[in-house]
This record gives sequence, C-alpha cells and structure tokens, in this order.
Amino acid sequence: MAEHTVASFDEDLRQISRLINDMGDLAGSMVGGSTRALLESDNALAQRVVSDDAIMDARQRELDDRAITLIAKRQPMADDLRHVVGSIRMAGDLERIGDLAKNIAKRVGSVGVSTAPRDLTHSIDSMAQLVLIQVQGVIQEYTVGDATALAKLRNDDERIDVKYTSVFRELLTYMMEDPRNITACTHLLFCAKNLERIGDHVTNIAENAYYVLTGTQLPANRPKQDETAMSAPAA
Amino acid sequence: MKPMLSTDLNVSDTTVEKAKIEVKNLNFYYGQSKALKDINLSLPERSVTAFIGPSGCGKSTLLRVLNRIYELYPKQSAEGQVLLDGKNILDRSQDLNLLRTKIGMVFQKPTPFPMSIYENIAFGVRLYEKISKAEMDSRVESALKRAALWNEVKDKLNASGQSLSGGQQQRLCIARTVAVKPEVILLDEPASALDPLSTAKIEELIDELQADYTIVIVTHNMQQAARVSRQTAFMYLGELVEFDRTEKIFTSPREKRTQDYITGRFG
Repeated sequence: MAEHTVASFDEDLRQISRLINDMGDLAGSMVGGSTRALLESDNALAQRVVSDDAIMDARQRELDDRAITLIAKRQPMADDLRHVVGSIRMAGDLERIGDLAKNIAKRVGSVGVSTAPRDLTHSIDSMAQLVLIQVQGVIQEYTVGDATALAKLRNDDERIDVKYTSVFRELLTYMMEDPRNITACTHLLFCAKNLERIGDHVTNIAENAYYVLTGTQLPANRPKQDETAMSAPAA
Repeated sequence: MKPMLSTDLNVSDTTVEKAKIEVKNLNFYYGQSKALKDINLSLPERSVTAFIGPSGCGKSTLLRVLNRIYELYPKQSAEGQVLLDGKNILDRSQDLNLLRTKIGMVFQKPTPFPMSIYENIAFGVRLYEKISKAEMDSRVESALKRAALWNEVKDKLNASGQSLSGGQQQRLCIARTVAVKPEVILLDEPASALDPLSTAKIEELIDELQADYTIVIVTHNMQQAARVSRQTAFMYLGELVEFDRTEKIFTSPREKRTQDYITGRFG
C-alpha cells in the first residue's frame, strides 16, 4: 500500500496496528498462562495473569483514544476507515479475552490439585490448546493480511464447540460418580465455558479482520456445534 | 436458512431507478486535447450524484457538458450523447434557452446580479414567463423559502443582492435557479468559498431539494460528497474510474485508484 501524502497519518495508523499486535500477544500469553496455572495449580502464574489484565485494559483505552483522535483529525476513508473502526472492535474482543483468562486464573486456588480427576484436566488441556492456537492464529493472519486463512480460522471455532460439548458431558459424569467432585468440577466447567467464550471472541475478531482486509462481510451463519444447551443429563 | 448478507446486493441501485440523464460514449475536446474519454454514466432522477476527482480530472468539464454551457467558449466540442429523459441534448436542434431552464446551474463563486434581491429572482422568471405582479411576488417568496433564505431577507427584498453575505448570496443563486422551475440542478463547488455554517445550510438545502430535483454536484471536499450524495462518480485524467453508491465508494471502493484518491495516497 502506498504511503499517504501526509506522512504522520501513516504513523498514526501504524501505532494502532502496533497496539492490536501487542494486545493479541498479551491475550495469547494470558490464555496460555491461565490454563497452565489451572492444570498445574500454579498460583504465582495465576497471579501474573490477573495482573496482566490491567495492562490489557490500559492498552485498550490507549487504542480507543488514538482511534477516536485519528477519526476526528483525519476523517479516514475506505480501507483506512475500516482499519480504524475494525481495530476498535477487535480491541474490544481482545479485552474480553483478557477478562475471561483472568477469570480462569482466579479459579486456580478453588479447584485444588487432587480433587480434579487426571482424565478431566487432560481434556481441558486439549481444549485449551485449540483455543490458544486460534487466539495466536487470528492476530497472525490479520497481520500478514491473509483473508482466506481468517475465513477458515473462523470456521475452526466449531472444533472448540465440539470439544466443549464433550468436556461438559464428562464433567457431569464425574459429578454423578462422586458428589465430592462437584466443587472442583463446577469450577472447571466455568473454566471450560470461559475457553469456549474466548473461542467466540476469536471468531468475532476473525470476522472483523476479514472485513477490514476485504471490505466485504463473511456470511452471517457459520456451523455451530455447542450442543450443551440441548443435552439434558441422563437421570 | 437466513439469506446471506452481501454488500454487493445494491450495487446496481444506480441503474435500477429511472435515469434522468444518461451519458453515452461521451468524448470532449478542448481544441486538440481530449478532456473526457468515453464517459458512460446514468444519473437517477430525484437523487444527488457527486463527481469527485483531483484537479483537471474532467469533473467540471462533464458538468458543463450537461447544460452545454461549454459552448460559450470557442474550440470546445463534445461527441457522443447526453440524453435528458431520453432526448439527446447535444443534438443541434436542441433549443439552448429551453435546455437551461430545465437544467439550472450554480457556480463556485456566488454570482448575484447587481440588482435587488427581488429582481435577482424575478429577472430570470420574466425571460420565460409572463406572469402578474402578485404571481411574481409569490414565485419570489416560494423560491426564497425553497432556498432557506426567506426569513433572512423578507424585510429587505429591495436591498442589493450583493449586500448579502457570501453564504446568503449562494443561497440567493440557488433560489434564482429554483425560481424558473428546472428539473436538474448542477452545482459546481457550491460551498467551497463558504464558512462551515453556510456550508451546512447549503448541504441541508441540497438534502431537501433532492425530493423534487435531480442534482449533480462537483466537489473537492470528499466528506461533503459522502454526506450529501447518493451516488458518487470518481474521475481521473478524463476517465470515469468508478461509479457506485456513495457508501460503497467511501467504505470499500472496487478500484485501487479510487481507494488511493479518497484515502489521500495520491501521487
């Protein structure tokens, strides 16, 4: 893309891109950190994720300020306009991802080590891996400008939904087997739900990023596989 | 299954509606030099169309072809067709005076006649119509109201048109244009010499006038084009590069040249 006649315009846009990148990196490290803290009962790591959330919030506020100032000063058009408005929205989703990761981190103390069955933490671990790949991927593909990869990545959220449905069923089984599992499993269920929600925010980011890059919207409906709302536990 | 949303669905909006003016294979020459290259364009009725582009791109030239005002100058010639309601106005048999009552024009600099506010409007009407004093009074009042100027001048209709402020003078010119009951109004940079408040009044006026008139506006101010028009034509070096709904042009134009121009990345 050619430079703007007004060079400082380019610098303003670059700073917004830089903030999105920073927030994306931070979101990845918070999601990775919170699930690792959960699975390894690492309280110090959990604490770091909690304090990282303040940094995430500050970045979002800075991005909002810069984007609004840029709109007021430069009245961006076409791809510039999409870039600025899309960044505001993507930053909102990244900030929410930070909140959800923080929520997982805050539960680390409550879950406890021994009470959670090993099999269970294993399936949460593999769900977390999927989510982490999505979080890191979406910013990566946006940065390199690969719209096709973003459309695919958006559809890949389906795998997280499938995984969430199976974790949900497993947790129910453990709780029915032994009521002493209920406290830990309930916390883990919230964690799994948070991971699933993070996947949804990644989907939003992918849709926004796609629009920023191409100027067209992805189709409204995509496959949905979260069936937990429909599956009643067998009594 | 829900219908898919596609931003492309309305692209042909500009062709579906009834065309007031159709430009076909238009070429224009200043002496030997070709200023417009094979322009094809359809301007929908009762709607605002903006022409944008860098200086020298041909947008004012195109506007000046639409009422053949270019013929005031020697060595300028147009080839092709400009159909007003299906009739070619470039045809030699076209009565120019009649054409210019149908297609009014307002210029960049306000051009009030050196006469009273009342006469500025009555003058043009008298050229084409014989009407009574009472009818003329009401015609002047309605034109001034239409141009949102009535309240500011109703107590000084005999004052000189040139005693008004720049913004008022421009609205007086619009009132003068409206008074002869045209079908199309051509605006050549109508607000570029005005302060922001007067500009806003002109834009508000354009918004109201499009209910009754087909309006074509040439403007250097892209935000203005985005605000007032329903479709926008981007021109460059005498070519029509892109013509589409205004929202489409300013959010995701198809052509790279359009994109570069409206985002400020040109040259």
